Amino acid sequence: MGLLELQQNLVGHKGRVWNVCWHPSGESIASCGEDKTIRIWTHDKSKWVIKTILTEAHTRTIREVSWSPCGNYIASASFDATVAIWDQKSGQFECNTTLEGHENEVKSVSWSVCGNYLATCSRDKSVWVWGMGVDEYECEDVINAHTQDVKKVKWHPDKLILASASYDDTVKIFDMEQHTNHWICASSLVSHTSTVWSLSFDRTGDRLVTCSDDKTLKIWQEYKPGNEVGIPTPDNEPIWKCVCTLSGYHSRTIYDVDWCKKTGLIVTACGDDIIRVFREEGDSDIHQPTFSLVCSMDNAHTQDVNCSQWNPCIPGLIVSASDDGTVKVWTYSD
Amino acid sequence: MNKVLENPNPKIYPKLEEKLGTDTECENIIRNTNEFDARGIFELLRNINDPEHPLTLEQLNVIEQNLIEVDNENNEINVKFTPTIPHCSMATLIGLSIRTQLLRTIPGRFKVSVTINPGTHIAEIAVNKQLADKERVAAALENKFLLTVIDQCLENTVQS
Amino acid sequence: MASRFSGALQLTNLDDFIIPSQECIKPVEIQKIKNKVGSKIKVEDDGSYVEMTQDGPLTKLQKVEITLSDCLACSGCITSAESVLVTQQSQEELLKVFQEKIENLQHSKDNVKFIVVSLSIQPILSLAERYKLTAKDAALKLSGFFKSMGADMVLDMSVADDFSLLESAKEFVERYKCSKEGLNNKLPMLACSCPGWVCYAEKTHGNFILPYLSKTKSPQQIMGSLVKYHLASSKGLSPEQVYHITLMPCYDKKLEASREDFYNSLKKTRDVDCVITAIELEQMLTQQEKNLEDFDKGEIEKPFQVPEQLTDVLLGHQGSGSGGYADFIFHYAAKHLFEESDAKLEYKSLKNPDFQEAVLERNGKVILRFAIANGFRNIQNLVQKLKRGKSPYDYVEVMACPMGCLNGGAQIRSQDGMQPRELASKLEIEYHKLPKSDPKQNMLLKHLYDVWLEGENSEKASAFLQTEYHEIEKMNTAISIKW
Repeated sequence: MGLLELQQNLVGHKGRVWNVCWHPSGESIASCGEDKTIRIWTHDKSKWVIKTILTEAHTRTIREVSWSPCGNYIASASFDATVAIWDQKSGQFECNTTLEGHENEVKSVSWSVCGNYLATCSRDKSVWVWGMGVDEYECEDVINAHTQDVKKVKWHPDKLILASASYDDTVKIFDMEQHTNHWICASSLVSHTSTVWSLSFDRTGDRLVTCSDDKTLKIWQEYKPGNEVGIPTPDNEPIWKCVCTLSGYHSRTIYDVDWCKKTGLIVTACGDDIIRVFREEGDSDIHQPTFSLVCSMDNAHTQDVNCSQWNPCIPGLIVSASDDGTVKVWTYSD
Repeated sequence: MNKVLENPNPKIYPKLEEKLGTDTECENIIRNTNEFDARGIFELLRNINDPEHPLTLEQLNVIEQNLIEVDNENNEINVKFTPTIPHCSMATLIGLSIRTQLLRTIPGRFKVSVTINPGTHIAEIAVNKQLADKERVAAALENKFLLTVIDQCLENTVQS
Repeated sequence: MASRFSGALQLTNLDDFIIPSQECIKPVEIQKIKNKVGSKIKVEDDGSYVEMTQDGPLTKLQKVEITLSDCLACSGCITSAESVLVTQQSQEELLKVFQEKIENLQHSKDNVKFIVVSLSIQPILSLAERYKLTAKDAALKLSGFFKSMGADMVLDMSVADDFSLLESAKEFVERYKCSKEGLNNKLPMLACSCPGWVCYAEKTHGNFILPYLSKTKSPQQIMGSLVKYHLASSKGLSPEQVYHITLMPCYDKKLEASREDFYNSLKKTRDVDCVITAIELEQMLTQQEKNLEDFDKGEIEKPFQVPEQLTDVLLGHQGSGSGGYADFIFHYAAKHLFEESDAKLEYKSLKNPDFQEAVLERNGKVILRFAIANGFRNIQNLVQKLKRGKSPYDYVEVMACPMGCLNGGAQIRSQDGMQPRELASKLEIEYHKLPKSDPKQNMLLKHLYDVWLEGENSEKASAFLQTEYHEIEKMNTAISIKW
């Protein structure tokens, strides 16, 4: 069994912390929550310390923060129906752009790997793709594919492919149609029996892990046309198949999941206050993979864990956020 | 096309006031935050006003003590409520009031669930799913119009 | 089922596709009787509700009717409309009206409706493609079809199209001049023949955007005025004695026809009584196990025709398949504002093929900047640009559907898996093959301005050719708030 050790408890937010995000360098953390602030924490010698508190861009809860791949921008999604883009051209983070258009709460925001696109999603059921125009962000498309509240959007680790998870119990995969620049739903992943809260691609982008209110994790594998195993691909489009369901481990809603691009480990954040780590078995068949629970940290927080993310550079480093108002940094070791 | 939106004349049930303890006893229930029981929770909820009638959830039999479960060991509280009519359009609002009252009075360590008494509402599954979604609940409680209504529903309840 | 509404209406509050009886938030006044305890509501076998009081007698509770107008005036889900439409502007309603007419005729009653059908060009092209007919034959067969059911007259809409274009162009020139005199909120003028866009603007952006909307009625509603207030009287009929059906490319047009602005409360009649779409017409034919080909060709009447001008059965316009607004107004403005009588119009696509821009230059300077913005994403960018004061445009032809009206939400989908855009491009080619009408040369308009409207720019002309828009405030009663 692996071991999860608390490195530091970051206190400061007032009320529920919804989300945390590592800087692409792995050296800073941005967190956000009910108190309408974004807090940026940096590593100073041996400790994480608060560096900046960003306020006043949002009038309601900040649901999610996301660093741009270059690390120079932060995008924040808020229940106030807007997305704020923060830059540090003046040396300090300032909000100079606000993306408006969603009808109500924006739940998630994600930068494409090239940094040229942003995706957002909302309770208004739509997913929006924004592109960097001449001097401002423009709406590239509004995708009405889900029938309910959309909880999460995430880009593929290296392609212009977008995935979204929804209250309608599905996950959908989108890509851009070349001549029209419309984003088309290429695949609808149906298997969860309740809200899908979050998702994460593996390092290759050929696999996805999703987590749900149905208390399960699901692993999905993409099969391209002409795949060796003979999985049919109608219309010559890749299809995604659920190849593994991890049930019986979580006792409540799983709010977040992250697939480590370095180690292949999966970490989950659950409403039962526990942080869990899963590892793929060494002899796992890609078409029927097996995962085992290698660590389960009881009472990782005193309330629901809302978010858990692997550090992008340092293997085994995890940051988590909770309803208990804290952000915690953990070290996982085998 | 045709519809009756509300329940204009609901059945009214007698209050259980006499059967419960004195005011001091009620206060003790609230103050003793380590242990809860169904009666204590009932006490927190009984005086929630119905959004459309000048009546309490107790009087309307929406809340009943025997539909409240408390598990102190596992920090779980489950409340089932019975809408006055099976197509009551106020069901989610009533559920939200109950949830909000518990959010405000019960320590955060408790996992609270508020659900419709099975078989008593046509949209039971949808309402339960919405009430269980803490993100939707949190967003709803930031809506000042909705909050005004909730606060009206909760004005006569025991506050923490 | 794919939505037949435009994308703009599919956004959240605007389109929920829910059944009104379950989720409608229209507040209903209930007369409460005080001090009555213990009454019960009982559901009868027929689904109605009765109230049982202690005294015994059962009182049937009043049912609440929700009309499409209620939906339009409400900031909730527009479109519970889907199911409201189904009853109020449906094939069934249409069949009922025809049936009634036939029965009334048989019993020689005197309240027999005079039924007029107006055909817009986009669904004709859609049906022509579907049934492998030429556009002209499709129109004639459609006439045959409607007449076989009991229609008295089947009309094409080119006269209304021309009115709408000419009035829009005049409005633009007027606004442009006002704007140069320093008046605010005149430009850009935004086209308003698309009811999906109008609905979205009224519900979501309200008073900020409304001043920019063109006041000129859409062709459907001009046709409505023409049929109910000119054709009717020329036949010695009162407006309510005429039942007016239009054939349209999208469901949104049903919303337009249902607006209060187009309802005569005195006569209790709408300018357009029922909107039927290409896709519904196909269904009607399928239900009758008929092909459009099977019907005899009927006549497309030209009741407004002036003798010295004989026109083709069907006419198109230069420019977009949505009616060519940007094109016509551009040329008209070039001529009337800058004396450029052969201004060259070249579109270039910007972000995507549904956002096109064209400019008129003089001495290297842009003097007119026009755009066509189709589809919701481009509407978004346009509105956001306007909000930030960064819109460079003088006029924008705005349509809620990508590719505009030829790709309307209720056009018939391809039978052999062709993509909607590809199909719409095919229809566009057919559209441009049609003989073209030039509103400026149309003698009929001049004639109608004289005999019907008491001249151009008259009060009557603005009453029949212009409309207004209204902000719809968000309702914030507890029950109306969706969370």
